[in-house]
Amino acid sequence: MLSIKNLNVAINGQQILKNLNLEIKAGEVQAIMGPNGTGKSTLASTLAGKEAYEVLSGEVKFNGKDLLEMSPDERAREGVFLAFQYPVEIPGVSVTNFMKAALNAKRRHFGLDPIEAKDFLKLMKDKMALVEIKKEMMSRSLNEGFSGGEKKRNEIFQMAMLEPSLCILDETDSGLDIDALRIVANGINKLRDKDRSFLVITHYQRLLTYIVPDVVHVMFGGKIVKSGGKDLALELEEKGYDWIKEEVAAEA
Amino acid sequence: MSFADKIVSEFELAAKNLNGEKESSLFAMRKEALSSFQKLGIPSNRHEEWRYTNIKTQLPETLSVLSGNASIVEKNGFNNFKEIKATRLVFFNGVFSKELSSIIEQTGVTVGSLKEHLHHNKPVTEKYFGVLVKKYEEHFSVLNTAFATDGAFVHIMKGVTAEFPVFIIHLYNSPENFTQTRNLIVAEESSKLNVIVDFQNLGSASFYNHVSEVFVGKNADVNVTKLQTATANTTAVHTLEADVERDAKFTCTTISLEAKLIRNTTNVRLSGENSEAHLNGLYYAKGTSLIDNHILVDHLVPNCQSNQLYKGILDEEGTGVFNGKIFVKQDAQKTNAFQSSKAILLSDEASINSKPQLEIFADDVKCSHGAAIGQLSDDEIFYLLARGIHKADAKSILTYAFASQIIETIAIDELKVYLDNKLKERLHLDF
Repeated sequence: MLSIKNLNVAINGQQILKNLNLEIKAGEVQAIMGPNGTGKSTLASTLAGKEAYEVLSGEVKFNGKDLLEMSPDERAREGVFLAFQYPVEIPGVSVTNFMKAALNAKRRHFGLDPIEAKDFLKLMKDKMALVEIKKEMMSRSLNEGFSGGEKKRNEIFQMAMLEPSLCILDETDSGLDIDALRIVANGINKLRDKDRSFLVITHYQRLLTYIVPDVVHVMFGGKIVKSGGKDLALELEEKGYDWIKEEVAAEA
Repeated sequence: MSFADKIVSEFELAAKNLNGEKESSLFAMRKEALSSFQKLGIPSNRHEEWRYTNIKTQLPETLSVLSGNASIVEKNGFNNFKEIKATRLVFFNGVFSKELSSIIEQTGVTVGSLKEHLHHNKPVTEKYFGVLVKKYEEHFSVLNTAFATDGAFVHIMKGVTAEFPVFIIHLYNSPENFTQTRNLIVAEESSKLNVIVDFQNLGSASFYNHVSEVFVGKNADVNVTKLQTATANTTAVHTLEADVERDAKFTCTTISLEAKLIRNTTNVRLSGENSEAHLNGLYYAKGTSLIDNHILVDHLVPNCQSNQLYKGILDEEGTGVFNGKIFVKQDAQKTNAFQSSKAILLSDEASINSKPQLEIFADDVKCSHGAAIGQLSDDEIFYLLARGIHKADAKSILTYAFASQIIETIAIDELKVYLDNKLKERLHLDF
């Protein structure tokens, strides 16, 4: 599904990702953990194609295609989805209109006609139920005045609507109380599928008790320094990140 | 002979045919207005108020200010907004069309042709016609007083609420004329009225000079929406003069989505205590269009409030001009005046000249203004791109979102829908 080789990325001339390697197979859930400022969100933004992130060298293949050659919107239509850490508020654009534009862009990409109004409403209704979103939210402006939890639920709702093959969750758990976290995690779990992969970026272990990963990576200093099974997350929760830093220092 | 001289000679030509009318006070007013015009002339861009809008070069000197021959317009040859239940007054090249108009009768609401009322309703027209134009005496408003013979007349009696909006439609298709049209709107004490004034160009090109005088009596509530949404190839000067009396409320929304060159001058006098004015505007200049909004809110007495909220979209080689004046006269203590002008530039060739102008002579007032000119936010664009929306569509969606705040203020739902669709059409949006 996703293959990253020796990826080096800089922002504002400062290198953040250093020779990063990562392989995700179809249907897998992989988590990336690590202290703040180690490049986790840089990886997410680079995969989504944010302009400010300059790829110095390296290769990213998505379903065999060169991801780095694609524009951000093309990546999305091809099936990459980034659930934002800080979803942008856009007054004046309703969730419904936004979703219709996004869904139809994807349908056109695959040679399909725009979705029928009736089918669209049904799809919305089904996907809203997945993350327990109320109908009223659909006519509200995108993210405007949404609570932290509503914003994150809305991200997962969009993900459900667009049915991507690679879902990148950038700190989706941050700022959520335990109830909102449970709702969001349940939504994500319902979307797990043998053809869909997840890259879960998080600072804390608690999300991973709900979304059980196949692989856990620890990122530090712009690269992955340790990988393991789901127990690694628990170990990190218990011991913190200092022992990883010491290990890395010892190796250097 | 200059264009202004030619215009003066046309006045003399027209006066020959007036016979008995020459003794009337109306003719005296027209003559006085003409002599003001003779002094002022057609402004060039050396004139401060016309610095960025070079109207002089855009008005061919061959144009005639006298009424052209009104050819026939078919009932379905224009948009009559049939989805909106309203009294309709339709004017073609400045001449009232009884056939195309439809009036819903209501006691206390008098609507019709200004031409007729200038002759048969003198107690009202002599009291109001031309009065506000004389307050500021501007180039095109005095020209209009001198020549305009017809337009809409709307009079609401004391305490009456007009049940339906009055929809005034001005149609133009005469490229040889600089057509002069005039509306007179009078809302007496404690009345309530909704007016929509729409302008449509049906010809290859149109040139016109329009003036609306609006009197908002004590405790009255008047809402005017001006539509310039079917006005491609139009070169026009619009002047709206309003006087707002004690405890009254005046709302004016100006939507300009198509133009060659359109100047909107909006002068509002808050002349009675505790009155308020809300002036909203949305303009969209694309291609080589120029849209100019000049606003003056004149706070003459204490305890009044005013709001100006204008948004502009400048695309391709489009040009916008925003000049928002707030005058607070010495007596106008406890004034609350607010102004916001926001514009976005969608191309490197687009431009906006924005000038807030506050002149405050009272010491106990609250006045604020903000002018922002910018591009669409990169973060917002990226959010849409990240959902697979093409870049051009993402920009259109965000532009639509920017503009929709003004459309949201429109009081009539069907009109809101019309404008929403029109905006989407202009932006090539299909959701």
